[in-house]
Amino acid sequence: MIVFADPIVDWATIGKVIAAALVSSIGVSLAYSLAVLGATRWAEMRNARRGPEATGFALLGLFGVAVCAAAIVGGIIVMSSK
Amino acid sequence: MNSDIVFVIVVVTALAFDFTNGFHDTANVVATSISTRAMPPRIAVGFAALLNFAGAFISLKVAATVGSGIVESAAITPTIVFAGLIGAIGWNLITWYFGLPSSSSHALIGGLVGSVVAAAGADQVIWSGLLGKVIVPALIAPVLAFLAAAIGILIVYRVVGALRPGPVTGGFKLGQVASGGLLALAHGTNDAQKTMGVITLALIAHGDIAANDFHVPRWVVVAAASAIALGTYTGGWRIIKTMGSRIIKMDSAQGFSAQGAGAAVILAASHYGYPLSTTHVIAGGVMGAGAAKRLSAVRWGVAGNIAVAWVLTLPAAALMGAITWGVTRIFGTGAVGPLVVSIALLLTIIAVFARRLQRGSVLTAEAS
Repeated sequence: MIVFADPIVDWATIGKVIAAALVSSIGVSLAYSLAVLGATRWAEMRNARRGPEATGFALLGLFGVAVCAAAIVGGIIVMSSK
Repeated sequence: MNSDIVFVIVVVTALAFDFTNGFHDTANVVATSISTRAMPPRIAVGFAALLNFAGAFISLKVAATVGSGIVESAAITPTIVFAGLIGAIGWNLITWYFGLPSSSSHALIGGLVGSVVAAAGADQVIWSGLLGKVIVPALIAPVLAFLAAAIGILIVYRVVGALRPGPVTGGFKLGQVASGGLLALAHGTNDAQKTMGVITLALIAHGDIAANDFHVPRWVVVAAASAIALGTYTGGWRIIKTMGSRIIKMDSAQGFSAQGAGAAVILAASHYGYPLSTTHVIAGGVMGAGAAKRLSAVRWGVAGNIAVAWVLTLPAAALMGAITWGVTRIFGTGAVGPLVVSIALLLTIIAVFARRLQRGSVLTAEAS
């Protein structure tokens, strides 16, 4: 079928779109979930006066937020570039 | 002189189309944030309008596809572009009146193809571009958004499922400010560029830009960005009134995943120059986030309607574009034809709105 011939449909580029969309969307969902997990557990551990665990979860939360911010800013920079 | 008049009519019509695109799509962009109470309606709408405007400046690759990848720009005249736009607006009006689903993006491309076929022949359409850049991505994108949102929400539930619901809901409401903003940015990027492409095509036809030197002038970017943002902001009142009846209920984590998936698909496609139906992509994301939790939570009828829209919109808008071209030709090759058609369309729109308002269902009959 001609639809599947490269000159008509650029499957390589469509593959890049699929990969970029899946990786960024699922990656950000995971990273933000870790951020929510970290923040929630941090508050619980802090209230329970469990300092080391609270610090660990705070770092996890910050890591999640940092990954999300990097993905969003990086994505916009890539899109804006010619 | 005639050419100048037609060119001005084309630009005004294209910007009006852009405005209605923003007006119609406000619902898709902000509905999720509003339904989960992540943002108050008025703030959500203003925020979306602002990011629609910003989004239009991010990339010009979709504009290049619309302006030079679907029809042979050397064969275009301002009247052909005009007929294509009227075909798209006409089809949107018919589907709106009868409550049928439609895609403004597909209507625009269909109208343009139809008017080109009628005016210059089928060999002036870049069929490989239409298939490879529009039809195939149109089929893939909503499915991709569905999958991305479904996988995303499953991961979210896996990670935060054991936590107390209160902080999780609060956390994802905050996340929705970012994901909703990204979705509005993506919408502005993809949809405003379609209008930019059409206006640039008219500039080529008018002789202001060489066919082999496609570029979008800055004033076109600013005008298209302003029109879509203004449409989004103006469309907000409708959301506030119809929120209770039209929006699918979902939790804030689902909203976050749906918006994130929709934004990711639209932004990735925009980067590679694919003009998508943003409505279909967002609907795919919402259904994916809903289906992952409970299959019965999804309005599968909406999915069926979208499938109908896929099949119908391109050929129907093409037919409307071809008919419009034929009508303008009755009045010769000058500006009289487009002027008569514009006035007739304006009167039709007024009559249709009046009739709809009399029936009292204008707010709820809008196609999803």
